[in-house]
Amino acid sequence: MNAFTRLVAVCFALAALLPLISNRYTLFIGDAMLVQIILAIGLNLLVGYAGLLAFMNGALFGVGAYALAVLHDGQHWPYWLALPASGIVAMVIGVAIALPALRLSGLYLALATVAFAQFALWAFTHWDAVTGGPSGLKVTPTDFYPFPVSSETGQFYLSLLVAAAIFWLTRNLLRSRIGRAFVAIRESETAAEAMAIDVTRTKTLAYALAALYAGIAGGLFAPLLGLVVPESFDLFQVVFQFAMVVVGGMGSLAGSVLGAALMVWLQEGLRAFKDLQEIAFGGLILLTVLFLPGGVAGLLRARFGWREPLHRPTQRHQPHASA
Amino acid sequence: MPALETRAVSIAFGGNLVLDRVDLAVAEGTIHGIIGPNGAGKTTLLNVITGITPPNSGEILLHGRSIAGLKAHRIAAAGIRRTFQTSLLCKGMTVLENVMGGLHAKLRAGALAAAFGLPAVWRDERDAAEAAHAALAYVGADALAERDAGQLSFGQQRLVEIARALIAEPRVLLLDEPAVGLSPDRVTHLDALLRRIRDERGVTIVMIEHVIRLVVDVCDRITVMNLGRPIAEGTAAEVTRDAEVIEAYLGSGAHAVHSGA
Repeated sequence: MNAFTRLVAVCFALAALLPLISNRYTLFIGDAMLVQIILAIGLNLLVGYAGLLAFMNGALFGVGAYALAVLHDGQHWPYWLALPASGIVAMVIGVAIALPALRLSGLYLALATVAFAQFALWAFTHWDAVTGGPSGLKVTPTDFYPFPVSSETGQFYLSLLVAAAIFWLTRNLLRSRIGRAFVAIRESETAAEAMAIDVTRTKTLAYALAALYAGIAGGLFAPLLGLVVPESFDLFQVVFQFAMVVVGGMGSLAGSVLGAALMVWLQEGLRAFKDLQEIAFGGLILLTVLFLPGGVAGLLRARFGWREPLHRPTQRHQPHASA
Repeated sequence: MPALETRAVSIAFGGNLVLDRVDLAVAEGTIHGIIGPNGAGKTTLLNVITGITPPNSGEILLHGRSIAGLKAHRIAAAGIRRTFQTSLLCKGMTVLENVMGGLHAKLRAGALAAAFGLPAVWRDERDAAEAAHAALAYVGADALAERDAGQLSFGQQRLVEIARALIAEPRVLLLDEPAVGLSPDRVTHLDALLRRIRDERGVTIVMIEHVIRLVVDVCDRITVMNLGRPIAEGTAAEVTRDAEVIEAYLGSGAHAVHSGA
């Protein structure tokens, strides 16, 4: 276990104590952090590790939340069934978008995902029969019977369990041949093919996982808010997600965890200045890219000499061209 | 049967015929050099063989089996591995991880098995790491195993790329200018390494190279290309005597090379 993994493990362990000392508000913030951690891990897998620029994760987060609302409150599915189903719905839609889009090169792929994000937002707002239109869908608090916990506490522990599991599973995945394949296609698709890596298949896997994680995050987020409305999944959500990944550190799993926690904390600090939020997070992305390209994780690597497998190198020092 | 054969392979980019009915037969267990002036189509030929740019027409055979039209990753899995003119190691991974990447198609772990860290997956990973160390030791670069691939010198990158290709136990190894930018010492090391790969591992090698000293010394046969066509083929002594080759490629300096060889 490297230093980054230990740090994250300690964070998750401390988080488990939060319900003992917190009030409803801090528990809500903690839960929101966990949901965003799941989103950030998925987006980092896609953008940071596999190097695929895509802007559909905010919309797929919404798809997961709406799917949960429809299945749980509309169809009366039990939550334990509706939650994974929300992830699968988002994954199926994500892959359906990605498969044709993967034939496109980087820039066009990015544009196709922007188009999807806009279309999804339009559907959330106007497909009243399913989404409830602008007023959205109500989601009842989850009942954790027979566990002796309130629905807020139960929801928090469930998010913690899912976030920790996703962190651990993704870490294992990245340390296998599949993680190496992600990094290989990021660095050069030609080299990846020459290493017998099926590039299309590997990209599809990255999209499927990011979409699955986004859907599950949506399914955890819906009961937390109690109300699923379109504006939760607009452009700001996309900016916010990129802020988590960039500030935390592109191509750093632990960075995603730290970045997500940091950004949710910052957003709460800015709650009084709602109009400033988009500027603040956009500016933060810009500043990080310019002055701290490795993000928080890069800072920790440089400051403490921590090693991290498969991290995305910062491009400041070009390798010597001759020797 | 040749290990690798191209029959009338042609490719044009925007009306510009870059390969013009190229016939090439590489005998099993030999080192086959491809030389020729810039723009002769040498790298394009490697790209066509490896499926990066499929040919417009013609046939490509690996041990008699047609591979033209297969996707690049399938051709690599079928046993053709290559290195690149400008090294394409993956930055952000260690040298060891890069070399392990060469085993991608041989490690069978699916996404679920890998995510749940099944014991079989970790065993395979351990074996892969061991094999990668062995491949690095074979090319004389095991000391670099834990370095980031982005921090290597030119010559080191070359050796690691060869190790990444070798770990997959290819039947045919294609090298695109492996000696460019190397010091004379390192060229000698490469010379010996290529012979060992051929003799100990039975790998057939096709090598594009401008460093004539290496080509003349190590290649069993040499094909000379000019303007998208092979214009001569033979041993080093034969092709350096060929009047058309001297005219097209070697120029007046050829006599010095010839008398030196």
